[in-house]
Amino acid sequence: MRSTPAAAWMMVALLAAGAPAHAAKAKPKAKPAATTPSAAPAGALTPARFAVARHTLPNGLVILLHEDHAVPAVTFWQWYRVGSRNEAPGITGISHFFEHMMFNGSKNVPPKEYDRIIESNGGNSNAFTDRDMTAYYEDIASDRLEVLLRVDSDRMRELLLAPELLKSEIEVVKEERRLRTDNDISGMLDESLYATAFMASPYRWPVVGWMGDLNRLQRSELVDYFRTYYAPNNCILVLTGDFDSAPALALIQKYFGDIPSQTPPKPPIDSEPDQRGERRAQVRYPAENESFQIGYKAPNAKSEDSWVLDVLSSILGDGESSRLHQSLVYEKQLALDASTFFRQRIDPTLFEFAVEMKPGKPSREGEAALDGVLDQLLKEGPTARELEKAKNLLEADLVKSLKTNNGVGEQLGFYEHVYGDYRTLYEAIGRYRKVTLEDCKRVARATFVPERRTVVELVPTPEQEAKP
Amino acid sequence: MGRWRTELAGWTLVLSLVLAAPSLGGTLQIPPATRAKLGNGLQVIVVPTTRLPLVDFRLVARAGSVNDPAGKEGLSALTADLMTQGAAGRDARTIAEDIAFVGGTLDASSGAEQIVVTCEVLRKDFATGLELFRDVIVSPTFPAAEFERKRDEALGAIASARNDPGTVANQALGPFLLGSSPLAHPLSGWEKSVRAITREDVVAFHGQMLRPDNALLAVVGDVDPKTTITALEKAFGGWKKSGEKWPDAYQAVPQIKGRKVLIVNKPEVTQTQIRLSCVGVPRNHPDFFPIVVANTILGAGFTSRLVNEVRVNQGLTYSIGSRFGMYRNAGTFSINTFTRNETIRKTIDAALTTEKKLVDEGPSEEELAKARSYLTGQYPLGLQAPDALAAQMLNVDFFGLDPNYLQTYQEKISAVSMTDVRRALKSYFCVDDLRVLVVSNPDLAKKQLEGLGTIEVRNPE
Repeated sequence: MRSTPAAAWMMVALLAAGAPAHAAKAKPKAKPAATTPSAAPAGALTPARFAVARHTLPNGLVILLHEDHAVPAVTFWQWYRVGSRNEAPGITGISHFFEHMMFNGSKNVPPKEYDRIIESNGGNSNAFTDRDMTAYYEDIASDRLEVLLRVDSDRMRELLLAPELLKSEIEVVKEERRLRTDNDISGMLDESLYATAFMASPYRWPVVGWMGDLNRLQRSELVDYFRTYYAPNNCILVLTGDFDSAPALALIQKYFGDIPSQTPPKPPIDSEPDQRGERRAQVRYPAENESFQIGYKAPNAKSEDSWVLDVLSSILGDGESSRLHQSLVYEKQLALDASTFFRQRIDPTLFEFAVEMKPGKPSREGEAALDGVLDQLLKEGPTARELEKAKNLLEADLVKSLKTNNGVGEQLGFYEHVYGDYRTLYEAIGRYRKVTLEDCKRVARATFVPERRTVVELVPTPEQEAKP
Repeated sequence: MGRWRTELAGWTLVLSLVLAAPSLGGTLQIPPATRAKLGNGLQVIVVPTTRLPLVDFRLVARAGSVNDPAGKEGLSALTADLMTQGAAGRDARTIAEDIAFVGGTLDASSGAEQIVVTCEVLRKDFATGLELFRDVIVSPTFPAAEFERKRDEALGAIASARNDPGTVANQALGPFLLGSSPLAHPLSGWEKSVRAITREDVVAFHGQMLRPDNALLAVVGDVDPKTTITALEKAFGGWKKSGEKWPDAYQAVPQIKGRKVLIVNKPEVTQTQIRLSCVGVPRNHPDFFPIVVANTILGAGFTSRLVNEVRVNQGLTYSIGSRFGMYRNAGTFSINTFTRNETIRKTIDAALTTEKKLVDEGPSEEELAKARSYLTGQYPLGLQAPDALAAQMLNVDFFGLDPNYLQTYQEKISAVSMTDVRRALKSYFCVDDLRVLVVSNPDLAKKQLEGLGTIEVRNPE
């Protein structure tokens, strides 16, 4: 994240640090334009009711348009197909550093001008970086769309990367790392989990980058990275909200149409070998309560099984009625919190569990209880009612993700990028609805295998009292 | 409070909000709000929005941590937490199961002066949502076993919070700034005070504070106002009014004088949390709009003076902002940031120098125009989601604001003049009388903080 200064005190760990943010992956969906008399029932997500137009410019730029005239504002998302998976040892964190530098000056928009222009037009902007993507957005009044197109095309065309700003902004990023990882227990565990679970996958390094790499990044590396990844043929634009498609498309063409395409970047190489045994790591740090995270190897978004894993994540970890909460928090009263995290990703990833123990309760008891929950699921599968509940929760989550233009744009960008086709969103609810009890058992048995898991444990060290 | 057009179970369309947005190309239409007062005195607002097939219920009770008895701090939070752990004919597990089964959410939580209960369901599950929402408000059973478990969890959460430097800072700031005011203590209370709470305390607190004549209710979403009000009357009809007058639990807090420094001991951190604070203003203050504009110029958004100087120019932090915490009878002002341990003093000096310069010289005309445009442009975005709209509408009544507050917000922001902003800066933005709080390693922090004021070092509570 680029941060939200005023709200920083309420922020939980977000995408940038790779920390779990949602129990289930967010999925998009949509809602009929304001002219439609009544909203579609959940589940009736069809191209007719939720119209999206997809265009590709000759330079390779993909454009998704969805009109919704409910509020006199638009959201403009720019999804660049680059994230920490595109990095290499030595330049980890460079994708996220770009997320910051994209606001720090381009050819015709001097440093500090980008934000000044957006805010003086009543808009706001922000961005996030994850392993698979870097995504930027602005919300602004409908009649200011052209303002966005001007400044956003300028930074795609030619980013300044001024040396003095690189120097001050990397310090900002290092503070972000200190905030979310170096001084945050779940951030520390998360970083250690991925670094331990993966040997060859680019998912092994943290999105924010290693501190040593942040200290050594060179401007020349940034220049190369920009040319490779910030090209129109590596970007998806998503415009949602109160606009008319034909003139809006013409404006986008006017500003973005002549930006030259680049040789498509080489896809990152994922040579991750099969895991042949449990891996364990420890983090020693002053803390009150023990805690741990577990990651089981899980398939990527192309796998049909990933839909089943969303369902399993809901059954195991969504809310107080979930199996984990019922066992670890409610019945055994071992844990303060027990949750799952699974996000659909481009490369094979992890299905994660995170547990914070109650004071005085050892992690090993929490691990044993978690194993018990999984054993039972593997043996018996979920109940029919649990499966139905999970489907209802996933469907409702989809609807709720579409409350704002911003949310609609985020979902469209996510599907277009991660699944390669925004139309997957029309199928999402149906895919969940199709999952059977047998699917749940089969995928749980294939996934929750001790040999394919990594456990990272916080070992609290004593806290020092202040000297009087 | 609030101006209710209809009494008893009547219903009527009151107004159609049309927000004319000076900085916008169009106008935001808020659907007509229907207001009613139920037979038991419960004031309700229904706002139909058909964009999504969702319904949001929201109840705000005038109760919160300011009502915690001395020695039982944390009672309001524990009470709210327990409301969903058994109600009417359902036990904790059944409540959780039934709301999840329809893909809904149900939550009760306490703030400083509001207990808020929310429920969000798909339109087709209106009846299920309303029944659960009503039951946890009106008929929680507070089973003894759940009480023991939740109190235990509250103690665990207090311990856990000591590991988060930002939370440590926010929780230590209250007593440091507000002294013995009921606003000062953290919502969660302290370990000692939570241990002192009994189940009987919880039952009594709920019985006293959760009453229809001490609460406001909104339903926003894909609903018909008339049938919704009929359904609310039926659901809440048996909820007995108290007839009591609830005295204010706290009064205005006197402004602090001079400078004091508190170091909260956290020797392991590599980054120091910083709070620079003084007493602020209540929410319905006559200078609200000038204060909001002035604060935007100083410390909100990405182009504020503080962000520009401390983050962009000097690279000292990832985030810095200033904010007014506004309550019914009092408030706080603070600049919040963090920096690596080596640059604590540099960051504090940069922030205070920046603030002082703005207070002394005022903003430029361009900055003022930018702040007004930013605030008016952002405003409609915050009203898009039905749950957000419900919260905004109830706050108007809760804080006793102008009934046309939502409709006139942009107009009033746009009317804030340079004179207004300069007056606000000089009146409410403290520089010399200040509480400086850091969460850090005292060995590194102490030397840097010398000369700022008397220094005290404490462990996290």
